[in-house]
Amino acid sequence: MVRVENIQKHFGSLKVLKGIDLDIQEKEIVVIIGPSGSGKSTLLRCINFLEMPDKGKVFINQHEVKTNNHDINGLRARVGMVFQHFHLFPHMTVLENVMEGPVQVKKIAKNKARKAAAELLEKVGLSDKADEYPEMLSGGQKQRVAIARSLAMEPEVILFDEPTSALDPELVGEVIDVIDDLAREGMTMAIVTHEIWFARKVAHKVIVMDEGKIIEQGPPEQVFDNPTHPRTQQFLKQVFNE
Amino acid sequence: MEKFFPWDVSVIFTKFPTFLHAALITLQITTSGILVGLIAGFVFALLKISYNKPLKAIASTYIFVVRGTPLLLQLFIIYYGLTTVVAIPPFPSAIIALGFHNGAYIAEIFRGSIESIPVGQMEAARSIGMSYRKAMQRIILPQAFKRAIPPLGNQFIIALKDSSLASTIAVPELLLRGRQLGSSSFKYMEMLVIVAVYYLLLTTLLHFILNKIDKKLTSGKRKARKIW
Ligand SMILES: Nc1ncnc2c1ncn2[C@@H]1O[C@H](COP(=O)(O)OP(=O)(O)OP(=O)(O)O)[C@@H](O)[C@H]1O
Ligand SMILES: [Mg+2]
Repeated sequence: MVRVENIQKHFGSLKVLKGIDLDIQEKEIVVIIGPSGSGKSTLLRCINFLEMPDKGKVFINQHEVKTNNHDINGLRARVGMVFQHFHLFPHMTVLENVMEGPVQVKKIAKNKARKAAAELLEKVGLSDKADEYPEMLSGGQKQRVAIARSLAMEPEVILFDEPTSALDPELVGEVIDVIDDLAREGMTMAIVTHEIWFARKVAHKVIVMDEGKIIEQGPPEQVFDNPTHPRTQQFLKQVFNE
Repeated sequence: MEKFFPWDVSVIFTKFPTFLHAALITLQITTSGILVGLIAGFVFALLKISYNKPLKAIASTYIFVVRGTPLLLQLFIIYYGLTTVVAIPPFPSAIIALGFHNGAYIAEIFRGSIESIPVGQMEAARSIGMSYRKAMQRIILPQAFKRAIPPLGNQFIIALKDSSLASTIAVPELLLRGRQLGSSSFKYMEMLVIVAVYYLLLTTLLHFILNKIDKKLTSGKRKARKIW
Protein backbone atom coordinates (compact mmCIF):
# COMPACT_ATOMS: atom_id res chain seq x y z
CA MET A 1 0.00 0.00 0.00
CA VAL A 2 2.65 2.53 1.07
CA ARG A 3 6.28 1.78 0.48
CA VAL A 4 9.33 3.93 1.04
CA GLU A 5 12.71 3.19 -0.40
CA ASN A 6 16.05 4.35 0.90
CA ILE A 7 14.71 7.53 2.59
CA GLN A 8 17.48 9.81 3.73
CA LYS A 9 17.19 13.12 5.52
CA HIS A 10 19.60 15.41 7.28
CA PHE A 11 19.20 18.64 9.21
CA GLY A 12 22.40 20.64 8.95
CA SER A 13 25.21 18.26 9.81
CA LEU A 14 22.89 15.84 11.59
CA LYS A 15 21.95 12.76 9.58
CA VAL A 16 18.51 11.92 10.93
CA LEU A 17 17.49 9.19 8.48
CA LYS A 18 20.18 7.03 6.99
CA GLY A 19 18.35 5.10 4.34
CA ILE A 20 15.03 3.70 5.52
CA ASP A 21 13.06 1.06 3.64
CA LEU A 22 9.56 0.37 4.81
CA ASP A 23 6.61 -1.42 3.33
CA ILE A 24 3.13 -1.05 4.80
CA GLN A 25 0.74 -3.64 3.40
CA GLU A 26 -2.99 -3.17 3.13
CA LYS A 27 -4.70 -3.62 6.52
CA GLU A 28 -1.33 -3.91 8.18
CA ILE A 29 -0.53 -2.14 11.43
CA VAL A 30 3.09 -1.16 11.74
CA VAL A 31 4.28 0.16 15.08
CA ILE A 32 7.50 2.15 15.15
CA ILE A 33 9.44 2.42 18.39
CA GLY A 34 12.86 3.68 19.31
CA PRO A 35 14.65 6.16 21.56
CA SER A 36 14.04 9.89 21.41
CA GLY A 37 15.82 11.49 18.47
CA SER A 38 16.11 8.26 16.52
CA GLY A 39 14.13 9.78 13.62
CA LYS A 40 10.66 8.27 14.06
CA SER A 41 8.76 11.51 13.57
CA THR A 42 11.00 12.53 10.71
CA LEU A 43 10.29 9.23 8.98
CA LEU A 44 6.52 9.70 9.24
CA ARG A 45 6.85 13.29 8.11
CA CYS A 46 8.91 12.23 5.11
CA ILE A 47 6.22 9.74 4.08
CA ASN A 48 3.73 12.55 3.49
CA PHE A 49 6.38 15.12 2.57
CA LEU A 50 5.93 17.45 5.54
CA GLU A 51 9.70 17.05 5.41
CA MET A 52 11.19 16.77 1.96
CA PRO A 53 13.47 13.72 1.95
CA ASP A 54 16.98 14.36 0.61
CA LYS A 55 16.91 11.06 -1.15
CA GLY A 56 14.62 8.09 -1.58
CA LYS A 57 11.23 7.32 -3.03
CA VAL A 58 7.70 7.07 -1.71
CA PHE A 59 5.21 4.78 -3.46
CA ILE A 60 1.49 4.59 -2.92
CA ASN A 61 -0.17 1.57 -4.51
CA GLN A 62 2.92 1.03 -6.64
CA HIS A 63 2.84 4.57 -8.00
CA GLU A 64 5.87 6.66 -7.23
CA VAL A 65 4.96 10.01 -5.68
CA LYS A 66 6.80 12.71 -7.59
CA THR A 67 7.78 15.84 -5.73
CA ASN A 68 5.29 18.16 -7.37
CA ASN A 69 2.27 19.84 -5.81
CA HIS A 70 -0.20 17.65 -7.63
CA ASP A 71 1.33 14.36 -6.52
CA ILE A 72 2.08 15.49 -2.99
CA ASN A 73 -1.38 16.96 -2.33
CA GLY A 74 -2.89 13.83 -3.83
CA LEU A 75 -0.79 11.64 -1.56
CA ARG A 76 -1.71 13.68 1.50
CA ALA A 77 -5.40 13.35 0.79
CA ARG A 78 -4.94 9.58 0.86
CA VAL A 79 -2.48 9.32 3.74
CA GLY A 80 -3.87 10.69 6.99
CA MET A 81 -1.71 12.12 9.75
CA VAL A 82 -2.41 12.42 13.45
CA PHE A 83 -0.02 14.59 15.44
CA GLN A 84 1.18 14.40 19.00
CA HIS A 85 -0.18 17.89 19.67
CA PHE A 86 -3.44 17.47 17.71
CA HIS A 87 -3.23 20.76 15.77
CA LEU A 88 -6.97 21.23 15.60
CA PHE A 89 -8.11 24.41 13.88
CA PRO A 90 -9.02 26.66 16.82
CA HIS A 91 -11.20 29.04 14.83
CA MET A 92 -13.57 26.27 13.77
CA THR A 93 -16.00 24.18 15.76
CA VAL A 94 -15.33 20.50 16.22
CA LEU A 95 -17.76 19.65 13.42
CA GLU A 96 -16.20 22.24 11.10
CA ASN A 97 -12.76 20.82 11.82
CA VAL A 98 -13.92 17.43 10.63
CA MET A 99 -15.77 18.82 7.59
CA GLU A 100 -12.95 21.06 6.43
CA GLY A 101 -10.97 18.51 4.42
CA PRO A 102 -13.92 16.92 2.62
CA VAL A 103 -15.45 20.30 1.73
CA GLN A 104 -12.29 22.17 0.78
CA VAL A 105 -10.14 19.40 -0.68
CA LYS A 106 -12.61 16.82 -1.92
CA LYS A 107 -15.23 19.41 -2.86
CA ILE A 108 -18.00 17.43 -1.23
CA ALA A 109 -21.29 19.27 -0.75
CA LYS A 110 -21.59 20.88 2.67
CA ASN A 111 -24.69 19.11 3.90
CA LYS A 112 -23.30 15.76 2.84
CA ALA A 113 -19.98 16.49 4.53
CA ARG A 114 -21.77 17.66 7.66
CA LYS A 115 -23.66 14.40 7.87
CA ALA A 116 -20.53 12.33 7.38
CA ALA A 117 -18.66 14.44 9.95
CA ALA A 118 -21.45 13.95 12.47
CA GLU A 119 -21.22 10.20 11.97
CA LEU A 120 -17.48 10.26 12.51
CA LEU A 121 -17.92 12.26 15.70
CA GLU A 122 -20.36 9.67 16.89
CA LYS A 123 -17.82 6.99 16.10
CA VAL A 124 -15.20 8.67 18.29
CA GLY A 125 -17.82 9.35 20.96
CA LEU A 126 -17.98 13.11 20.65
CA SER A 127 -21.38 13.83 19.15
CA ASP A 128 -22.22 16.11 22.06
CA LYS A 129 -19.17 18.29 21.35
CA ALA A 130 -19.90 18.95 17.67
CA ASP A 131 -20.57 22.65 18.15
CA GLU A 132 -17.87 23.35 20.73
CA TYR A 133 -14.59 25.03 19.89
CA PRO A 134 -11.47 22.91 20.38
CA GLU A 135 -10.18 24.94 23.32
CA MET A 136 -13.11 23.71 25.40
CA LEU A 137 -12.05 20.07 24.98
CA SER A 138 -9.72 17.90 27.02
CA GLY A 139 -6.58 16.55 25.39
CA GLY A 140 -8.10 13.14 24.85
CA GLN A 141 -11.17 14.68 23.23
CA LYS A 142 -8.99 16.87 21.02
CA GLN A 143 -7.06 13.88 19.81
CA ARG A 144 -10.24 12.00 19.05
CA VAL A 145 -11.44 14.96 16.97
CA ALA A 146 -8.09 14.99 15.19
CA ILE A 147 -8.54 11.32 14.36
CA ALA A 148 -12.06 12.03 13.07
CA ARG A 149 -10.69 14.90 10.99
CA SER A 150 -8.19 12.55 9.45
CA LEU A 151 -10.78 9.81 8.89
CA ALA A 152 -13.07 12.29 7.13
CA MET A 153 -10.71 12.25 4.15
CA GLU A 154 -11.25 8.48 3.92
CA PRO A 155 -7.53 7.85 3.89
CA GLU A 156 -6.06 4.55 2.84
CA VAL A 157 -3.40 4.78 5.53
CA ILE A 158 -3.14 6.83 8.71
CA LEU A 159 0.17 7.82 10.26
CA PHE A 160 0.07 8.40 14.02
CA ASP A 161 2.97 10.26 15.61
CA GLU A 162 2.85 9.55 19.34
CA PRO A 163 -0.90 10.18 19.52
CA THR A 164 -1.04 9.74 23.30
CA SER A 165 2.26 11.25 24.45
CA ALA A 166 0.83 14.69 25.14
CA LEU A 167 -2.05 13.33 27.20
CA ASP A 168 -2.56 12.96 30.91
CA PRO A 169 -2.31 9.26 31.78
CA GLU A 170 -6.01 8.93 32.52
CA LEU A 171 -6.88 10.19 29.02
CA VAL A 172 -4.65 7.78 27.12
CA GLY A 173 -7.20 5.00 27.19
CA GLU A 174 -9.98 6.81 25.34
CA VAL A 175 -7.66 7.59 22.42
CA ILE A 176 -6.20 4.10 22.36
CA ASP A 177 -9.75 2.70 22.25
CA VAL A 178 -10.50 4.69 19.11
CA ILE A 179 -7.31 3.50 17.41
CA ASP A 180 -8.09 -0.02 18.55
CA ASP A 181 -11.51 0.20 16.88
CA LEU A 182 -9.83 1.30 13.66
CA ALA A 183 -7.46 -1.64 13.94
CA ARG A 184 -10.39 -4.00 14.21
CA GLU A 185 -12.02 -2.45 11.16
CA GLY A 186 -8.89 -3.22 9.18
CA MET A 187 -7.52 0.30 8.82
CA THR A 188 -3.95 0.42 7.56
CA MET A 189 -1.83 2.33 10.07
CA ALA A 190 1.69 3.26 11.02
CA ILE A 191 1.91 4.22 14.67
CA VAL A 192 4.82 5.73 16.54
CA THR A 193 4.21 5.08 20.22
CA HIS A 194 5.82 4.42 23.56
CA GLU A 195 2.80 2.39 24.74
CA ILE A 196 4.42 -1.04 24.42
CA TRP A 197 1.37 -2.90 25.75
CA PHE A 198 -0.72 -1.34 23.02
CA ALA A 199 1.90 -2.10 20.37
CA ARG A 200 1.96 -5.69 21.48
CA LYS A 201 -1.80 -5.86 21.20
CA VAL A 202 -2.41 -4.32 17.77
CA ALA A 203 0.87 -4.46 15.83
CA HIS A 204 1.40 -6.85 12.99
CA LYS A 205 4.93 -5.63 12.60
CA VAL A 206 7.16 -3.73 15.00
CA ILE A 207 9.98 -1.58 13.69
CA VAL A 208 12.78 -0.50 15.99
CA MET A 209 14.66 2.62 14.98
CA ASP A 210 17.94 3.87 16.36
CA GLU A 211 20.09 6.73 15.09
CA GLY A 212 18.29 7.00 11.79
CA LYS A 213 18.29 3.32 10.94
CA ILE A 214 15.93 0.39 11.36
CA ILE A 215 17.87 -1.93 13.62
CA GLU A 216 15.26 -4.59 14.11
CA GLN A 217 11.83 -5.56 12.86
CA GLY A 218 9.38 -8.40 13.17
CA PRO A 219 6.15 -9.49 14.80
CA PRO A 220 5.60 -8.05 18.29
CA GLU A 221 6.24 -11.31 20.15
CA GLN A 222 9.61 -11.63 18.53
CA VAL A 223 10.73 -8.01 18.95
CA PHE A 224 9.40 -7.55 22.47
CA ASP A 225 10.12 -10.99 23.92
CA ASN A 226 13.28 -11.97 22.08
CA PRO A 227 14.96 -8.81 20.84
CA THR A 228 18.22 -9.59 19.10
CA HIS A 229 19.83 -6.19 18.86
CA PRO A 230 21.45 -5.00 22.10
CA ARG A 231 20.13 -1.46 21.52
CA THR A 232 16.59 -2.84 21.35
CA GLN A 233 17.11 -4.74 24.59
CA GLN A 234 18.45 -1.60 26.23
CA PHE A 235 15.59 0.55 24.91
CA LEU A 236 12.90 -1.89 26.04
CA LYS A 237 14.44 -2.13 29.47
CA GLN A 238 14.35 1.64 29.74
CA VAL A 239 10.70 1.82 28.69
CA PHE A 240 9.64 -0.86 31.14
CA ASN A 241 11.47 0.77 33.98
CA GLU A 242 9.47 3.98 33.54
CA MET B 1 -9.34 88.42 35.56
CA GLU B 2 -8.44 88.98 31.94
CA LYS B 3 -4.78 88.87 32.91
CA PHE B 4 -4.91 85.43 34.48
CA PHE B 5 -7.29 83.91 31.99
CA PRO B 6 -6.73 85.53 28.64
CA TRP B 7 -8.92 83.15 26.62
CA ASP B 8 -12.50 83.39 25.48
CA VAL B 9 -14.19 80.15 26.44
CA SER B 10 -17.52 81.01 24.84
CA VAL B 11 -15.89 81.12 21.41
CA ILE B 12 -15.00 77.46 21.81
CA PHE B 13 -18.70 76.64 22.00
CA THR B 14 -19.93 79.03 19.33
CA LYS B 15 -17.26 78.09 16.80
CA PHE B 16 -17.30 74.38 17.53
CA PRO B 17 -19.90 73.48 14.85
CA THR B 18 -17.99 75.31 12.12
CA PHE B 19 -15.28 72.63 12.29
CA LEU B 20 -17.63 69.85 11.34
CA HIS B 21 -16.77 69.92 7.67
CA ALA B 22 -13.04 69.84 8.46
CA ALA B 23 -13.59 66.91 10.80
CA LEU B 24 -15.29 65.03 8.00
CA ILE B 25 -12.29 65.67 5.78
CA THR B 26 -9.98 64.38 8.51
CA LEU B 27 -12.17 61.30 8.75
CA GLN B 28 -12.11 60.86 4.98
CA ILE B 29 -8.33 61.08 4.68
CA THR B 30 -7.94 58.72 7.61
CA THR B 31 -10.37 56.05 6.46
CA SER B 32 -9.14 56.18 2.86
CA GLY B 33 -5.54 56.10 4.06
CA ILE B 34 -6.26 53.14 6.30
CA LEU B 35 -8.00 51.33 3.46
CA VAL B 36 -5.02 51.85 1.14
CA GLY B 37 -2.77 50.89 4.05
CA LEU B 38 -4.67 47.66 4.70
CA ILE B 39 -4.46 46.61 1.08
CA ALA B 40 -0.80 47.57 0.71
CA GLY B 41 -0.02 46.03 4.10
CA PHE B 42 -1.70 42.76 3.23
CA VAL B 43 0.00 42.47 -0.15
CA PHE B 44 3.45 43.37 1.18
CA ALA B 45 3.05 41.03 4.16
CA LEU B 46 2.38 38.14 1.78
CA LEU B 47 5.38 39.15 -0.33
CA LYS B 48 7.53 39.36 2.75
CA ILE B 49 6.71 35.82 3.87
CA SER B 50 6.86 34.35 0.35
CA TYR B 51 9.69 32.11 -0.76
CA ASN B 52 10.30 34.26 -3.82
CA LYS B 53 13.55 36.15 -3.16
CA PRO B 54 13.00 39.17 -5.45
CA LEU B 55 9.45 39.71 -4.18
CA LYS B 56 10.69 39.40 -0.63
CA ALA B 57 13.40 41.97 -1.34
CA ILE B 58 10.85 44.40 -2.79
CA ALA B 59 8.71 44.11 0.32
CA SER B 60 11.68 44.51 2.66
CA THR B 61 12.89 47.60 0.80
CA TYR B 62 9.47 49.21 0.91
CA ILE B 63 9.15 48.59 4.62
CA PHE B 64 12.72 49.75 5.27
CA VAL B 65 12.34 53.01 3.35
CA VAL B 66 8.90 53.91 4.66
CA ARG B 67 9.64 53.15 8.29
CA GLY B 68 13.00 54.86 8.19
CA THR B 69 11.79 58.24 6.90
CA PRO B 70 9.30 60.76 8.32
CA LEU B 71 5.74 60.74 7.08
CA LEU B 72 6.00 64.49 6.48
CA LEU B 73 8.88 63.89 4.08
CA GLN B 74 6.92 61.18 2.29
CA LEU B 75 4.00 63.54 1.95
CA PHE B 76 6.23 66.27 0.49
CA ILE B 77 7.81 63.82 -1.94
CA ILE B 78 4.42 62.83 -3.27
CA TYR B 79 2.96 66.35 -3.35
CA TYR B 80 5.98 68.52 -4.25
CA GLY B 81 8.58 66.02 -5.42
CA LEU B 82 6.46 64.34 -8.03
CA THR B 83 4.96 67.54 -9.52
CA THR B 84 7.41 67.49 -12.41
CA VAL B 85 6.16 64.03 -13.36
CA VAL B 86 2.56 64.11 -12.25
CA ALA B 87 0.81 66.81 -10.27
CA ILE B 88 -1.31 65.14 -7.62
CA PRO B 89 -3.80 67.42 -5.83
CA PRO B 90 -3.48 67.80 -2.05
CA PHE B 91 -6.34 65.55 -1.03
CA PRO B 92 -5.26 62.41 -2.96
CA SER B 93 -1.62 63.16 -2.10
CA ALA B 94 -2.49 62.98 1.57
CA ILE B 95 -4.35 59.69 1.10
CA ILE B 96 -1.52 58.12 -0.90
CA ALA B 97 1.12 59.20 1.61
CA LEU B 98 -0.91 58.12 4.62
CA GLY B 99 -1.86 54.88 2.88
CA PHE B 100 1.61 53.78 1.90
CA HIS B 101 3.09 54.97 5.16
CA ASN B 102 0.63 52.89 7.15
CA GLY B 103 0.96 50.06 4.66
CA ALA B 104 4.52 49.44 5.83
CA TYR B 105 3.49 49.26 9.49
CA ILE B 106 0.42 47.19 8.71
CA ALA B 107 2.53 44.80 6.62
CA GLU B 108 4.69 44.21 9.68
CA ILE B 109 1.60 43.73 11.84
CA PHE B 110 0.19 41.15 9.42
CA ARG B 111 3.53 39.42 8.99
CA GLY B 112 3.95 39.17 12.75
CA SER B 113 0.47 37.80 13.26
CA ILE B 114 0.84 35.27 10.43
CA GLU B 115 4.16 34.10 11.81
CA SER B 116 2.69 33.82 15.29
CA ILE B 117 0.37 31.03 14.13
CA PRO B 118 2.01 27.75 15.19
CA VAL B 119 3.60 25.85 12.30
CA GLY B 120 1.48 22.83 13.28
CA GLN B 121 -1.56 24.62 11.85
CA MET B 122 -0.04 24.77 8.40
CA GLU B 123 1.14 21.17 8.71
CA ALA B 124 -2.29 19.94 9.78
CA ALA B 125 -3.90 21.80 6.88
CA ARG B 126 -1.39 20.48 4.37
CA SER B 127 -1.66 16.96 5.77
CA ILE B 128 -5.35 16.81 4.84
CA GLY B 129 -4.35 17.68 1.29
CA MET B 130 -4.85 21.45 1.19
CA SER B 131 -2.67 23.49 -1.12
CA TYR B 132 -0.50 26.23 0.40
CA ARG B 133 -2.92 28.82 -0.92
CA LYS B 134 -5.98 27.09 0.47
CA ALA B 135 -4.30 26.52 3.83
CA MET B 136 -3.47 30.22 3.98
CA GLN B 137 -7.02 31.23 3.09
CA ARG B 138 -8.88 28.84 5.30
CA ILE B 139 -6.59 28.16 8.25
CA ILE B 140 -3.75 30.65 8.69
CA LEU B 141 -5.15 34.03 7.65
CA PRO B 142 -8.44 33.84 9.59
CA GLN B 143 -6.46 33.17 12.77
CA ALA B 144 -3.83 35.76 11.90
CA PHE B 145 -6.41 38.49 11.23
CA LYS B 146 -7.91 38.00 14.65
CA ARG B 147 -4.54 38.39 16.28
CA ALA B 148 -3.81 41.46 14.17
CA ILE B 149 -6.83 43.40 15.37
CA PRO B 150 -5.43 44.94 18.57
CA PRO B 151 -2.21 46.21 16.94
CA LEU B 152 -4.18 47.33 13.88
CA GLY B 153 -6.41 49.35 16.18
CA ASN B 154 -3.39 51.18 17.58
CA GLN B 155 -2.16 51.82 14.07
CA PHE B 156 -5.52 53.26 13.01
CA ILE B 157 -5.42 55.71 15.91
CA ILE B 158 -1.91 56.76 14.94
CA ALA B 159 -3.13 57.20 11.35
CA LEU B 160 -5.97 59.41 12.51
CA LYS B 161 -3.59 61.72 14.34
CA ASP B 162 -1.01 61.62 11.55
CA SER B 163 -3.63 62.81 9.09
CA SER B 164 -3.09 66.27 10.61
CA LEU B 165 0.12 66.48 8.59
CA ALA B 166 -2.07 66.97 5.54
CA SER B 167 -2.58 70.53 6.81
CA THR B 168 0.92 71.31 5.54
CA ILE B 169 -0.16 70.76 1.93
CA ALA B 170 -3.37 72.74 2.30
CA VAL B 171 -5.87 69.95 2.79
CA PRO B 172 -8.68 71.71 4.68
CA GLU B 173 -8.78 69.23 7.53
CA LEU B 174 -9.11 69.88 11.26
CA LEU B 175 -5.70 71.29 12.06
CA LEU B 176 -5.58 73.60 9.05
CA ARG B 177 -9.08 74.84 9.89
CA GLY B 178 -7.94 75.57 13.43
CA ARG B 179 -4.86 77.46 12.29
CA GLN B 180 -6.80 79.49 9.73
CA LEU B 181 -9.55 80.52 12.12
CA GLY B 182 -6.94 81.12 14.78
CA SER B 183 -4.95 83.55 12.71
CA SER B 184 -7.97 85.36 11.31
CA SER B 185 -9.61 85.81 14.72
CA PHE B 186 -6.45 86.04 16.85
CA LYS B 187 -8.03 83.40 19.07
CA TYR B 188 -5.44 80.71 18.43
CA MET B 189 -5.76 78.81 21.67
CA GLU B 190 -9.54 78.64 21.49
CA MET B 191 -9.45 77.25 17.96
CA LEU B 192 -6.74 74.74 18.79
CA VAL B 193 -8.73 73.56 21.79
CA ILE B 194 -11.66 72.91 19.46
CA VAL B 195 -9.33 70.91 17.21
CA ALA B 196 -8.13 68.92 20.23
CA VAL B 197 -11.68 68.14 21.30
CA TYR B 198 -12.53 66.91 17.80
CA TYR B 199 -9.50 64.63 17.77
CA LEU B 200 -10.40 63.28 21.19
CA LEU B 201 -13.94 62.60 20.05
CA LEU B 202 -12.70 60.80 16.96
CA THR B 203 -10.07 58.70 18.78
CA THR B 204 -12.61 57.81 21.46
CA LEU B 205 -15.08 56.76 18.80
CA LEU B 206 -12.42 54.65 17.14
CA HIS B 207 -11.45 53.05 20.46
CA PHE B 208 -15.10 52.27 21.09
CA ILE B 209 -15.56 50.61 17.70
CA LEU B 210 -12.34 48.61 18.05
CA ASN B 211 -13.35 47.40 21.50
CA LYS B 212 -16.69 46.29 20.15
CA ILE B 213 -14.99 44.28 17.40
CA ASP B 214 -12.53 42.78 19.83
CA LYS B 215 -15.31 41.79 22.22
CA LYS B 216 -17.27 40.21 19.42
CA LEU B 217 -14.31 38.14 18.26
CA THR B 218 -13.39 36.91 21.70
CA SER B 219 -16.90 36.31 22.97
CA GLY B 220 -17.51 32.80 24.18
CA LYS B 221 -13.76 32.28 24.49
CA ARG B 222 -11.85 32.04 27.69
CA LYS B 223 -10.32 35.33 28.64
CA ALA B 224 -7.62 36.32 31.05
CA ARG B 225 -9.24 37.34 34.27
CA LYS B 226 -8.33 38.05 37.81
CA ILE B 227 -7.82 34.84 39.70
CA TRP B 228 -7.81 34.76 43.47
N1 LIG C 1 13.15 20.63 11.56
C1 LIG C 1 14.26 20.18 12.18
N2 LIG C 1 15.40 20.92 12.16
C2 LIG C 1 16.51 20.49 12.76
N3 LIG C 1 16.61 19.32 13.43
C3 LIG C 1 15.53 18.53 13.49
C4 LIG C 1 14.29 18.94 12.87
N4 LIG C 1 13.39 17.97 13.08
C5 LIG C 1 14.02 17.01 13.80
N5 LIG C 1 15.31 17.35 14.04
C6 LIG C 1 16.28 16.54 14.76
O1 LIG C 1 16.31 15.28 14.15
C7 LIG C 1 16.46 14.27 15.14
C8 LIG C 1 15.36 13.25 14.98
O2 LIG C 1 14.15 13.87 15.32
P1 LIG C 1 12.76 13.11 15.36
O3 LIG C 1 11.75 14.10 15.82
O4 LIG C 1 12.52 12.45 14.05
O5 LIG C 1 13.02 12.02 16.46
P2 LIG C 1 11.97 11.08 17.18
O6 LIG C 1 12.49 9.70 17.02
O7 LIG C 1 10.61 11.35 16.69
O8 LIG C 1 12.12 11.49 18.68
P3 LIG C 1 10.99 11.68 19.84
O9 LIG C 1 10.74 10.31 20.41
O10 LIG C 1 11.65 12.57 20.82
O11 LIG C 1 9.79 12.27 19.20
C9 LIG C 1 16.48 14.94 16.48
O12 LIG C 1 17.82 15.06 16.89
C10 LIG C 1 15.90 16.30 16.20
O13 LIG C 1 16.45 17.26 17.05
MG1 LIG D 1 8.88 12.25 17.52
